[in-house]
Amino acid sequence: MVKRFDCLQLLASWLDEHALTVTSRGGNAREWAHLRPLGANFHSLNMGTCMSFALGLALAFPKRKVIAIDSDGSLLLDTSSLVTLADVNPPNFLALVFDNQAYANMGATATARSADLAKMAEGAGIKKASTITSAEDFAAKVRPALEAWELGFFVLKSASGRAQVKVDSRLIHGRPMLEHFINALLRHPDYQGKPSASQE
Amino acid sequence: MDQETIAAIIHALKQERIDLVVTLPEEPTSPLTEAIRQDPHFTSVTVASESNGISLCAGASLGGRRCLFVTGIAGLLVGTWSLAQMAVLYGIPVFIMASYRGDIGDRSGVSGAQLFMFQQLGEPMLNTLRVPYRIIKKKNELEREIRDSHFACREYGTPLVLLLTGEVLW
Repeated sequence: MVKRFDCLQLLASWLDEHALTVTSRGGNAREWAHLRPLGANFHSLNMGTCMSFALGLALAFPKRKVIAIDSDGSLLLDTSSLVTLADVNPPNFLALVFDNQAYANMGATATARSADLAKMAEGAGIKKASTITSAEDFAAKVRPALEAWELGFFVLKSASGRAQVKVDSRLIHGRPMLEHFINALLRHPDYQGKPSASQE
Repeated sequence: MDQETIAAIIHALKQERIDLVVTLPEEPTSPLTEAIRQDPHFTSVTVASESNGISLCAGASLGGRRCLFVTGIAGLLVGTWSLAQMAVLYGIPVFIMASYRGDIGDRSGVSGAQLFMFQQLGEPMLNTLRVPYRIIKKKNELEREIRDSHFACREYGTPLVLLLTGEVLW
């Protein structure tokens, strides 16, 4: 088992300022916002939307790494996203699925049960999908994947519970979060979004 | 959908500098999505569910890429969860073109009960989600409607749906 916070702490230390990240809701968002308060981070996407949203972002920023920080319950709500991800096969995409095997807010409510999420991803056509069970394994596999120019997909068997971190909720929810994200995009050197149509 | 209509849509998309087209193939719009797939101007992505398509387009659009999701009205019903997130919660401009199965005049062979269900639920669902839409029946309105709707989608900051029917579709 890994501790999510420890893995995210390592990830934050490895990412350059121009990498883009997307998180599902809950502990993923809170801990990541605490560790990476600046930069283009879209937080708290609801169940089943994180992976595909991040894929769209990867198509908009083809020269930058886009990291999806998803969870087992969220991924299970839309496993068809694995097929789409495999088909597009974006070289700038890294998926990290924290799998605590439970719907965390409801105690021991099993999610994937005996299903193997990494094998499901592999079965969907994602070539580099694997399971991580220790911090050492995380460092050995994820850091090279960040530097490689190919799709990486990792399921992290993680302990339940959240790190006790203080986060300004405006950084991780709704329209205030969106404003932070857009401001980060506007400062991003690769952003291709034009001014609003009325300004053209 | 005939060749004249397909050419008009592709012309309007290029004028709007839309270069990413996301689809989940469905029968009435398949000649269009196939033509787009063959056109090197476009990056064409085929998704495995409509929720994928809507979420993907939201990420791409927010990231500054001009994109279109082509689906059917049944796909909008399937993608309601994602559409609710992207529309109501965030107001992300997702530009969508959908065949209006079940509109009056649809003789496509789908059972009448299914068609009537689409007709009963499609527009009320969009209204409930506060997603603006336009119904396009006439070929000569198509290019103008695409331009105006894409402008509104980006300017208002909302998903916006073009429902294709009448002589545009059948």
